[in-house]
Amino acid sequence: MPQLIKVRPTKIELVKLKRRLALAQRVQKIVKDRLSILTMEFLQTAKETVEAKRSLLDEISQMYRALSVAAGYHGYVALEKELLASEADVAVTAGLRNVAGVRIPSLELKEPARTMRGYGLLETSSFVDHSAKLAQKALKAIIELSELQRGLELLGMEISRTKRITNALEYIIIPNLQATIHYLTMKFEERDREEKARLKRVKVLLARKE
Amino acid sequence: MAAQYWEEERQSRYDSMLKGYLSGELRLVNAGLPRSQKTLALLLREESPHVMCQDGSTQLIKRKELDYLASILDASEQDALLLPMLMELGGDQSQVTILCAGQVERKVISIILDMPLPREQQASPAFALPPASGSSTKIPVSSRMGETITIYRPQLALVRKRLKTTTQYVFSQRSATRDPSLTNSIE
Repeated sequence: MPQLIKVRPTKIELVKLKRRLALAQRVQKIVKDRLSILTMEFLQTAKETVEAKRSLLDEISQMYRALSVAAGYHGYVALEKELLASEADVAVTAGLRNVAGVRIPSLELKEPARTMRGYGLLETSSFVDHSAKLAQKALKAIIELSELQRGLELLGMEISRTKRITNALEYIIIPNLQATIHYLTMKFEERDREEKARLKRVKVLLARKE
Repeated sequence: MAAQYWEEERQSRYDSMLKGYLSGELRLVNAGLPRSQKTLALLLREESPHVMCQDGSTQLIKRKELDYLASILDASEQDALLLPMLMELGGDQSQVTILCAGQVERKVISIILDMPLPREQQASPAFALPPASGSSTKIPVSSRMGETITIYRPQLALVRKRLKTTTQYVFSQRSATRDPSLTNSIE
């Protein structure tokens, strides 16, 4: 049930209310557009997150399998010694991308400039190469998944916030404004009718005097 | 008398708060629009490709997407393609308009969607961004968008899936007033 806004029943107030209603309706349209875009992005990100998670699990299981084969071939101690030399920092380009007003992190793994992985080629076999390659792929998948999951969280939060705004506009602000405008219009019409009746009465009285 | 005064005071404060909040919402949705677009060729040369947004923040553009675009376009087209591409949602939310300066955008979208796209002319620019100051390679967005590409919502998902950071949504006031029911009620 819309409530009347307490305003002075003047024409200026009516104009103000009409302006406010126009603004609210314009914003409602934009907020609705935004909500539909955010929902679409959310669903797409959710799909991509599921795919990314599945591929990450696959890649990690393949990587561990390859690593265990390499460890079986070289022995744990020898493999650990070789891998200690191959430790390197991971460089990630981090930034933001804006999706309909939501700032979502954007991460990208920088490809290392060096071609060698750091371990000696003489003491190691292709099993180590294979597992290192798979580890690189898994790292990429981890970064991709982290970006998607954070994006999903942020989009979800923004959707619930936008929904609240849409509902407030749709069920409270706009109906209240419309009801008040309707009330004021009726009041002014009533005043006009009263004025007309009064003038007619005066006219009759004047006619009688003459 | 005093009660009436306080009630009016409260109303005017509520009114200004609502007005401020609603205009803030409009500003927020377009905060991510680029101040100026950059050509694909220029972005490919940058170490960390990015564009400046209206709110002063930077939007990172993924190298993977740039490489994909470079793989489907030749050198002259790379100089002509302006990024990020701007997409405007239609009045009934079922269609999306991609604002473009030339034929390259049409080629990119038709390759992604794997279908030919008809040519359309835009009557007037949907929005006006302030022209960018700075190097000549950065091209201001305003008064340059002569053509449009219209695609549907399911196709938008395909485009966004492929070009996440090289496309950007536009929320124009024009699309808000395009709704006939809204125009009537404003009048």
